[in-house]
Amino acid sequence: MTAAFAAEAASRVRGGVVHLRVGDSAGGAGVVWPGGVVVTNAHVAIERRIIVRLPDGSVVEGETIWRDPARDLAAVAAPGLAALPPVEPGDAGRVRPGSLVFAIGHPWGIQDAVSVGVFHGVGPIPTGIGVPEPIRRQAWVQAAVRLAPGNSGGPIADADGRVIGVSAMIVAGLALAVPAGEVESLWRGARP
Amino acid sequence: MSAPSGSLASLSEQLADAVARSAESVVAVHARPRLPSSGVHWRDGVVVTTEATVKRLDGITVTLPDGARIDATLIGRDPGTDLAVLRIPTGRLPVARSGDPGTLRPGHLVLALARLGDDGPRVALGTVSATGGPWRCWKGGEIDRRLQSDVTLYPGFGGGPLVDVDGRVHGVNSGGLSRPFATTVTAATVDRVAGELLERGYVARGWLGIAMHPVRFNPGARERLGLSRDAGLVVLSVEPDAPAGRAGVLVGDVVFAIDGQPVESPEQVVDLLGGGAVGRVLALDLVRGGARSRADVTVGERPRRAG
Repeated sequence: MTAAFAAEAASRVRGGVVHLRVGDSAGGAGVVWPGGVVVTNAHVAIERRIIVRLPDGSVVEGETIWRDPARDLAAVAAPGLAALPPVEPGDAGRVRPGSLVFAIGHPWGIQDAVSVGVFHGVGPIPTGIGVPEPIRRQAWVQAAVRLAPGNSGGPIADADGRVIGVSAMIVAGLALAVPAGEVESLWRGARP
Repeated sequence: MSAPSGSLASLSEQLADAVARSAESVVAVHARPRLPSSGVHWRDGVVVTTEATVKRLDGITVTLPDGARIDATLIGRDPGTDLAVLRIPTGRLPVARSGDPGTLRPGHLVLALARLGDDGPRVALGTVSATGGPWRCWKGGEIDRRLQSDVTLYPGFGGGPLVDVDGRVHGVNSGGLSRPFATTVTAATVDRVAGELLERGYVARGWLGIAMHPVRFNPGARERLGLSRDAGLVVLSVEPDAPAGRAGVLVGDVVFAIDGQPVESPEQVVDLLGGGAVGRVLALDLVRGGARSRADVTVGERPRRAG
């Protein structure tokens, strides 16, 4: 059990992680959200037509149905999503600093890679790191977990496998993710 | 609901507990423009941080775990070990619970803590990469134990503690000494340097006031002089009004032993000038003009740079 470390929790979350790409781009990740839609970053879903690689390896064509560039979120619909196990969104506000978290994505194109780190907190980014003020002031899940290009849009999950954020960027080496609660409320508000 | 992940979740809880316990003694130190660094409440009313992140002498403040931002006074700094000591009012927060760095082995999980403002603590996780005995860091200071980890020291993490999974503090993390692994100035050294800074405001380093270079005696000279080894250190310069000069050491002397111990590299001499050497008398065995001689040098205090 201990030797497996994050493997068990990660394998549960992995079933709800897809690979998204547009044209020849390396692309990013997406999270199968409750309701049968993929949530990702707006900077990943940059076109209406988007190629979706499902966890079983099959490739389908998806459609970007919602984008919120200010919060860097988007939703993609695709055939077959309803049959996939959605992730379980969690509340980042209940995670304590120092708790284990893990990210899943496709860094540099490596499929479904897991990286493990620790949770810092959720809230605005500290001043002095050089982030534009409108971005700095937003609420971010902040964690010391290694991300790379290709993790964008993928989940950051707690030790129980609940997704607490959608990875959006790396600042000063730190992982920043849109809190799951905000993903849920923005997408619910936008849902047709 | 998904099933709980058992050991992973309990490990995660343990790490968060360790952070909750130790973060009560971690402060943010505002002593440079823009991003603060971190500090550890090492003794009551005494905060230790990294020297390299203290960029101003006045107007230093610290943010406490409860969010209060209070004034702090710079007591002293030691560039050699990258430590600086600040004074704050006593009784404001718990003192860090010290661990024994000797119990850490490569592979042990460790946490680096930081505080950047009035929000919660910041944490990074990693493993101990290397441990060992006393060493001299590239900045010149002596550190009682080697303790390096693969923890990422994010901006502002310098001056924060390295914490084990039970929340015990094993030392202060230095960004400046970290190349490439995170280097922790271990607890006994933090104690020693903090004590010296509190006592006199700086760390005294021994000084002889000579420059030396390794040389070898030829076999004939060695035999004639009755030397057990062929190595020594030739004196290249003697500073005026310095301990060695006052004891009669001259340019061209070849030092082959100090206090009876053979010396063949300048580093060996530097090692003899570490903590507590000031005021000690060193017996220099040397060769001058083809004959053995001796000079008793009282170790002085290395002049400090102005400012």
